[in-house]
Amino acid sequence: MANITKKVSWSSRADESGATGEGTPLLNGSEQPRHSRQLSEGRSIFQIGRLSTVDLEEEITSEEDSLRGRPKEIPHNEKLLSLKFESLDYDNIENQLFLEEERRMSYMGFRCLEISRWVVCGLIGFLTGLIACFIDIAVEELAGFKYQVVKENIEKFTEVGGLSISLILWAVLNSAIVMIGAIIVAFFEPIAAGSGIPQIKCYLNGVKIPRVVRLKTLVVKVCGVICSVVGGLAVGKEGPMIHSGAVVAAGVSQGRSTSLKRDFKIFEYFRRDTEKRDFVSAGAAAGVSAAFGAPVGGVLFSLEEGASFWNQMLTWRIFFASMISTFTLNFFLSIYHNKTGDLSSPGLINFGRFESDSVAYNLYEIPLFIAMGAIGKSYFILFFTRYVHRPCLQVMEAMLVAAVTATVSFTMIYFSNDCQPLGPEHTEEYPLQLFCADGEYNSMATAFFNTPERSVRSLFHNQPDTYNPLTLGLFTLTYFFLACWTYGLAVSAGVFIPSLLIGAAWGRLFGRLLAAITSSGSIWADPGKYALIGAAAQLGGIVRMTLSLTVIMVEATGNVTYGLPIMLVLMTAKIVGDYFVEGLYDIHIKLQSVPFLHWEAPATSHWLTAREVMSSPVTCLNRIEKVGTIVDTLSNTSTNHNGFPVVVQVTGSDEPAKLCGLILRSQLIVLLKHKVFVELARSRLTQRKLQLKDFRDAYPRFPPIQSIHVSQDERECMMDLTEFMNATPYTVPQETSLPRVFKLFRALGLRHLVVVDDENRVVGLVTRKDLARYHLGKHGLEELQLAQT
Amino acid sequence: MSLSKSSLSLLLFILNMSTIALSDGLNLTALHSADKLKQIPSLNRAAAAVVVNSPMFKPAVEPIFSLNLLSSFPEDLEISDYCKELLNIFGQRYVAYVSCLVPAARPVTVCQKCFSSFGSLREAYANISSESGPGNVSCSESLLRGDRLMVVNQLNTSLEELWTSSACDNCVTKGLQRLTNDTLYFMNTLNQTDDCFDKYRQGNHTELCKNCKSTYQELNELYGRMEKNQTMCIDIEDSMNMTRRLWSKYYNCSVPREETVPVIAVSSFMLFLPIIFYLSSFLHSEQKKRKLIHPKRAKSYTSLMNIQDKLG
Repeated sequence: MANITKKVSWSSRADESGATGEGTPLLNGSEQPRHSRQLSEGRSIFQIGRLSTVDLEEEITSEEDSLRGRPKEIPHNEKLLSLKFESLDYDNIENQLFLEEERRMSYMGFRCLEISRWVVCGLIGFLTGLIACFIDIAVEELAGFKYQVVKENIEKFTEVGGLSISLILWAVLNSAIVMIGAIIVAFFEPIAAGSGIPQIKCYLNGVKIPRVVRLKTLVVKVCGVICSVVGGLAVGKEGPMIHSGAVVAAGVSQGRSTSLKRDFKIFEYFRRDTEKRDFVSAGAAAGVSAAFGAPVGGVLFSLEEGASFWNQMLTWRIFFASMISTFTLNFFLSIYHNKTGDLSSPGLINFGRFESDSVAYNLYEIPLFIAMGAIGKSYFILFFTRYVHRPCLQVMEAMLVAAVTATVSFTMIYFSNDCQPLGPEHTEEYPLQLFCADGEYNSMATAFFNTPERSVRSLFHNQPDTYNPLTLGLFTLTYFFLACWTYGLAVSAGVFIPSLLIGAAWGRLFGRLLAAITSSGSIWADPGKYALIGAAAQLGGIVRMTLSLTVIMVEATGNVTYGLPIMLVLMTAKIVGDYFVEGLYDIHIKLQSVPFLHWEAPATSHWLTAREVMSSPVTCLNRIEKVGTIVDTLSNTSTNHNGFPVVVQVTGSDEPAKLCGLILRSQLIVLLKHKVFVELARSRLTQRKLQLKDFRDAYPRFPPIQSIHVSQDERECMMDLTEFMNATPYTVPQETSLPRVFKLFRALGLRHLVVVDDENRVVGLVTRKDLARYHLGKHGLEELQLAQT
Repeated sequence: MSLSKSSLSLLLFILNMSTIALSDGLNLTALHSADKLKQIPSLNRAAAAVVVNSPMFKPAVEPIFSLNLLSSFPEDLEISDYCKELLNIFGQRYVAYVSCLVPAARPVTVCQKCFSSFGSLREAYANISSESGPGNVSCSESLLRGDRLMVVNQLNTSLEELWTSSACDNCVTKGLQRLTNDTLYFMNTLNQTDDCFDKYRQGNHTELCKNCKSTYQELNELYGRMEKNQTMCIDIEDSMNMTRRLWSKYYNCSVPREETVPVIAVSSFMLFLPIIFYLSSFLHSEQKKRKLIHPKRAKSYTSLMNIQDKLG
């Protein structure tokens, strides 16, 4: 099954769409037969069809026994690990070059590095804030325009008749806008679909998701989000902000853009996975902070959901980035609103201030809040199993959803008899009168005929009797189904706002019913308060975040006194929810077959030792190796290792040789490219010595081995790996238990762990996929299967 | 309002004490005018008496420094006569404005009826707060900020707030001279509509709905324009609200819901589309198959029987 890294054809959209991924990619272009074991994984996928973008594959894992010529095929399910995902190199490669560079660097050099880290974080915050600001303004303007057009049309036809035309107009407008968004996502950058939070989670966990932090992804994401929100889908623009922040971080910290072919020659030191990962967590935090106006929440989000690696300095820097981001957004929005300097809109979503009266809650309300938390577990179990893989179908699907959303909203509004007097300050942005008395508006329309953020705010803050229970109940139900349906679409959009909206609607309903059954209830059962708690419960039930979500909610409402009820509600929501099903993001990650390492190894796995876990045998290289061997090893599709233990042969022995280092595929490729051969070095005295810079320049898109030409003569040369290999790789004895290995991986961010016997001979290699396949299922420990996708 | 009322009495009481010497013998007129003020329940008569006395003080009266104060404070700590006069005038105008406001409370006509008395109140207050008076005397220090209670200031603030929240500025020209043309035009249109309502009030309301529709609509549009231009005050809003309520609720002239059938038809067509879509793509595609890969593991330890063997 050798598939190869050929450029050409893999369909440029790989899977990703929601649930299954579309799978075709793999094997085309397999003309070059590779030998030996190894099944390649990596390459496949995501690489769009350009040679230059091909990523290396890596990870060992799956060696496949060559005897199985025809592997078993099974339908996609969530109990698979995909071969296409590779690990990131979070472990520093301490080879001689590295040590040399460190020696050369002066004290000032290190100080400058530290300073530039801060500069980068500041830039990340600034740019993320700008992007948030851009999205916000674009959505506001375009949605305002759309609603204005539809509103005028409806007003015109209310009197003369022909409201079905307004309905069609609304549906067509929606689908047209969504179509643009869906086209750019489906045809240009499928990875930009969805909120991007699962992908960023995986990235920070150490899994390389191809193309997830590219500039193109960012552009598609931003435009896609604007289109889907303006198109009236049941989505929010907050989730994608996190992804956008991460992309900004990954881009800025590198000081160049491979997509634009521009290299600014700055921040070169940061061109490796370790540094990049830190910045990406800062970017994700900045994104959260811009989305919700919650800088502390952003930092905690990075800590809770993302970063697997953490230290105090990093936390402080991330906090800096978050603050800058929320401040930037705030500042530019204040200019946009003609109130320059009035920093009162810190986030994309503004919950508004809860006034003193409605803020008060009593001790006896807490059990009620907890009960609400129990309701708010994840309903999002409903995935539409997707049969829709082709991009044009995905576009059509998105358009249909948009049209249906408009239709359903219109019908609800049309048949609603819930009329409310217009408020004095016109809190309703686009009041629709329809069949209400003059001077009143249809309150169903404020919920549906509005951007979701505004609806959330009006649910929180409108007068207690603004919505009648029937309206709220219907709204909750329809919006819930719409949101579930929308979730799997190939458009970029977040799930935060729909969940908040659903939660706020039923929370408000709860509050109203409470007020109705208790005679004196109207005094304390302020529906706005219950709407907030409902929103928190719903969101907590869906995304299953705890600490960070509490802080985000508290910061977004600007009210610390709500901390306790929100915390209790989120706790109950999580406990109840976990009893039934995993959180949305985890489900997503599983469906993508990502080898994700959780915090802990599965319980009851101590009896497994490294011997059972590891892959074996391992392709090893000699310290002084023939170029031909290296090229063959690398081009062998079945050696999907990305790292090769380097050994010294014990003379005259058949035993595996002793381990003396570890070298990565990417390093070998750079070496081959620069033709660092022993013979050449001798003949050409002038040859420049290879430096760490040469490796950084090739990062992160190392060319595939096929693009490197090695002549027949050169194949006979020798290569000395001593200087380049990591001379002290982490090793474990064969008897190490799985949880110990797991801890090493998780804490150190390892990619390869060599298993050695008591004489330091290589017996196997443990990689991420070897560990991630174990998980605790209903019947005890289960093992996931590896599959090509 | 209750705050300002009680503080009003307080103020008047103070005034009373300090002006007794001057106002002897004027009680007759006082009683006469006090009758007018009966509507203001909490106003006490004695206080009212003083207020009404005050007409004898014109703003332009020259300060009488020789007349000295009853109190034992040294001269520079007590308020001057000039200031006392100003205070008096303020009180008098205050009462006039309030007595105009109360009857105009429902239906709201506070802007149309009381803008001129508000204008004079404002003028009086401006005199007090201006920094320079005749002989460089400034009353603002002693009258406005002399004590913790700051009665004059508070009274004025409460009425200013009332004025601001009624948005009367939008209906009255600068300098509070007269109503703006827009307002007059609106009132005119409103009257036409009311006339029309009156005309057809008897009998069938459908008749009214039909015949008054054009004027009502004109009024509605005018109101919409004014709403957009922010040229509305509480008077206009209130009268429009009343008219709308009459039109929609009382006469029942709202648009009826008539097009249920086409709307249902179109929406069910729309809802039908996704069903076709999913059905067809379900039929035309099959689930992607995944190829399983069997990783290479150390074979020598099979005795341990690891799970993957069981599964595989």
